[in-house]
Amino acid sequence: MAGTNRTDAARTQKASDLSLLAGPVLYRPDAAEELRIDRTEMLRYLGHAGQKVDGELSERIEGIAREVEQTVDPHGVIQAFPVDATGVDEVGMPCIRLTGTTIELRGRDIFRHLKDASACAVVACTLGMGTERRLRLLSGQRPLDAALYDAAASAYVECAVDAMEHIVRREAAAAGRTCTWRFSCGYGDCPLAAQDAIVASLNAGRLIGLTTTPTHLLLPSKSVTALIGIIDGKDAAERNGERPSCAICRLRGNCAFRAHGTTCYA
Amino acid sequence: MNYSLDTTAPVTAALQAGQAFRPRAAACADDALARVLAGSRHLLFDGGMGTMLQAAGLAAGELPELLNLSDPDAITAIHAAYVAAGSEVVTTNTFGANALKLKGAASVEEIFSAGVRCARASGARYVAADIGPLGTLMRPMGTLSFDEAYRLFAQQVRAAVDAGADLFVIETMTDLAEIRAAVLAARENSELPIFATMTFEEDGRTFLGTSPEAAAITLDALGADVVGINCSLGPAELRPLARRMLAVTDKPVMVQANAGLPRTEGGRTVYDIDPGAYAAAVADMVDDGVAVIGGCCGTTPDYIGLLAGLIADRVPAPRAVERALTVTSAQSVVTLPRSSRRIAVIGERINPTGKKRLQQALRDGNVDYVVGQGISQQEQGADILDVNVGLPDIDEVETLPRICEQLSASTLLPLQIDSTDPRAIEAAVRRYAGKPIINSVNGTRESLDAVLPIAAHYGANIIGLTLDEAGIPATAEQRAAIAERIVDEAARYGIGRERILIDCLVMTASTNQAQALEILRAVTLVRERLGVACTLGVSNISFGLPAREVLNATFLSAAFGAGLDAPIMNPGSERYMDAVRAFRVLNAEDEGSTAYIDHFAGWTDPYKAGASSASGAAAPRPTVDTESGDAIRRLILTGRKGEMAAATEKLLETTDALELINRRFIPALDEVGVLFEQGTYFLPQLMASAEAARVGFDTIRAHMGSGAIADKGAICLATVKGDIHDIGKNIVKMLLDNYGFTVFDLGRDVDPNEIVKTVKERRIRLVGLSALMTTTVKNMEETIRLLRAEVPDIKVLVGGAVLTPEYAARIGADYYAKDAAETARIAEEVLGGRRS
Repeated sequence: MAGTNRTDAARTQKASDLSLLAGPVLYRPDAAEELRIDRTEMLRYLGHAGQKVDGELSERIEGIAREVEQTVDPHGVIQAFPVDATGVDEVGMPCIRLTGTTIELRGRDIFRHLKDASACAVVACTLGMGTERRLRLLSGQRPLDAALYDAAASAYVECAVDAMEHIVRREAAAAGRTCTWRFSCGYGDCPLAAQDAIVASLNAGRLIGLTTTPTHLLLPSKSVTALIGIIDGKDAAERNGERPSCAICRLRGNCAFRAHGTTCYA
Repeated sequence: MNYSLDTTAPVTAALQAGQAFRPRAAACADDALARVLAGSRHLLFDGGMGTMLQAAGLAAGELPELLNLSDPDAITAIHAAYVAAGSEVVTTNTFGANALKLKGAASVEEIFSAGVRCARASGARYVAADIGPLGTLMRPMGTLSFDEAYRLFAQQVRAAVDAGADLFVIETMTDLAEIRAAVLAARENSELPIFATMTFEEDGRTFLGTSPEAAAITLDALGADVVGINCSLGPAELRPLARRMLAVTDKPVMVQANAGLPRTEGGRTVYDIDPGAYAAAVADMVDDGVAVIGGCCGTTPDYIGLLAGLIADRVPAPRAVERALTVTSAQSVVTLPRSSRRIAVIGERINPTGKKRLQQALRDGNVDYVVGQGISQQEQGADILDVNVGLPDIDEVETLPRICEQLSASTLLPLQIDSTDPRAIEAAVRRYAGKPIINSVNGTRESLDAVLPIAAHYGANIIGLTLDEAGIPATAEQRAAIAERIVDEAARYGIGRERILIDCLVMTASTNQAQALEILRAVTLVRERLGVACTLGVSNISFGLPAREVLNATFLSAAFGAGLDAPIMNPGSERYMDAVRAFRVLNAEDEGSTAYIDHFAGWTDPYKAGASSASGAAAPRPTVDTESGDAIRRLILTGRKGEMAAATEKLLETTDALELINRRFIPALDEVGVLFEQGTYFLPQLMASAEAARVGFDTIRAHMGSGAIADKGAICLATVKGDIHDIGKNIVKMLLDNYGFTVFDLGRDVDPNEIVKTVKERRIRLVGLSALMTTTVKNMEETIRLLRAEVPDIKVLVGGAVLTPEYAARIGADYYAKDAAETARIAEEVLGGRRS
């Protein structure tokens, strides 16, 4: 394994090279950035596979997308930590630990994802409690608008996380390094339970109002946490071009997206 | 009083057990602390603890509280550094020491005991037991109940008392419901002073939307001794927020700001304000009247050392807080200052008396309908919502708090809790995230003795009805005399006049014509003599007379003239709201008449000839030929709900309702189902069609009565325990409704026992369960197991993203439905619908 022969001290040094990301970096979209919901993505969340959408419905979809863009203010936080791929978990399986935090990531998929990385940028983003309240109101009163709002909000938080990922990639590139794709708990065999430590380690409750339920779901529900591996030059070439795939997804056998010949990721 | 941790309504229970009500008085460690609470002495807290621990190498996400046990000397050293810098109070390292966060790593009692010991060892004058958020969101937005939160906080409170703390600091809270639970737990399980602070973001609200005013008013009312702000921003940014608190509460105000904003420098987190700049900004707040100061994240003994000099030899600046009746929710504040004539509209629509559909909704547990009544009143301009669920066959003690909680999720307005049962009132007021109005107490001894202690304990406002053992008196003077007795009695409980609304009780003009002006005279008399606000249930005036709205609106205007502050009325009546909008010009509440001018721009006077057709929303121009029987099919297929009501009405003129449903609606819905199945339609199209059909069904119900639509049977739906995703379940509900099934929707995160209870009570044969996460499917399996054990002949249908037919069978479900359309087909099969 490429990552296991490095010392912790070297890794810590590597993480602090990404000087901006070594402490918590708060993310708020600035006015110039103008996050825009990818309409195609929003429709894909609603199961769209080429159906013709008439004027009245498409106006409603557009209206909700605009409402989300104009009224919702994403809050995010990013921090990079050194990766330690030398440890094992409770049952003796190799696992990833992020040095200086309580984050322990179990499962083969996240291990493969981060084993070559010297650092991992941990990202959390939420659309906040206002979105959650709006969703609750619509669910009880206007189910179609609720479904549209739900899809719009999902697409919007994705686009905010894209912007955050861009910051990570920019910083990594500035330090002469490259990044893996964006991995989240619940992908493949990586348990959701790690959400608690991720939220706690980023101090995301205090910084962006993010909490977890006793079943490790994020609340507000329109929130994302993600892990981006930061890789050094030599390994980077090998890992470059890797993309998310359905191969590790446990839903692949029964996936509505795949049935329609699409995927849940762009 | 002694309070039981597990009682729905502890004050009522204690009174019934013969205990006397005793107002709370904080037990202070010494006279100096008592003077702090009285507002005549400053107090200096300490600064950041987490900052110091992280600098010493604490891992991110680790529980710092465990250091109380593993490295007490290091903790004491931090406290001692603050004491050396001049802190009079040190805060125990127990911020996250609750059973939820500790997860068994240590007991709450151990951590508090060690934490207080570490603090005490520093030689500090006072030890503040620190209580922070539980880390899990409370209902209605989250999953933790008020009672669970209360129990967790009460455990911390008792541990702190046993460990010998001097006071509580409850801090960094963002949820008004949660800080209320903590303050109540502190009040009911100790006599120590309570300092309570919340955390606000740049937009001046907490993450959950609470403003400084709502926080200060609610916490003051509930009995916090000091209220304030901590964390998130630097002192200069917090100053305007602190001023907003100072303007609405008499209680001492506390601020513990951050050392500005954090940034990363050479791999370390640093804060952008130095001790000198910090102290200068805090000095401004002290000048404003902030009495208790200290620091939060990023502050160190260097910062605190400069604060001591700011408050040496001075006492908190006196300030004038305007007397006002204040009503709050977590999201908004209604203020009726005693010095001016503002008015507030109390929406009366959530009251089942005489409302068949609301009665049915309450009986069926159809919370969405009840909440919808709140949302529409908010949109119509109500300022406060009255909530009454009193029906002979409804358990008010259980239902009233539940409805109030759901209303808080979807409306912003403060609530008025309305019941004749003191237990129901207390159950709701105790759990309500705000400062409500209790409707009502009256002049009878029984009512005064039962209701005033509740209002006193929870700091609620109260409506006093001018009736007593002898009934409703005839003259204004006699009504004012009862009002005075209520006000005097309330004073004995420490309930001030600014918390009282008197209802002089409207009599019907058709039977008591002479009373109408007498009631108005009573309003004037009560306001002038007692200086309390007045409310009236306006529409009672017109019972038995035609054109009731005309009479009501005239009486409303007259009552405003007589001094009415808060009419209880239907805000859905434009006529009443016009009177409200007009009076807000006359009483100068609508400054510059701008709201009035905006509202009436382009207004057409309904009294002018020909205006009636122009008023109201223009009917949509038909896009299909509504004369044709095929209109319904096309409107449903294209999801055009706007034209559906008119088309349905048209057909009802010539067609029997049942035939219309069976020959037009259902086949169209079936056709949509097939189009969806084939992939010709996608989800929003299916839902738009369902919406349009729904409008048609509502039109039929409105014309023919609800009996017109045959009930095909009942289904219970729930998103399982631990899961919060309910979009899919709500779509299923929408379709089942349209196919004529009665749906009992229990919501999300539903306990298996609640499902079993509903199934048994309603004799339900089919249950639909939804789970979106692999991790929550095990709760689905558990629910099915319990259902099978308790109701052997039950059929269970499951759905949700992670399920497959095989998986569904493995966890014991009878049916798997891949989407909402399939759920409707299975429901028909099981419950013997058309195609069984």
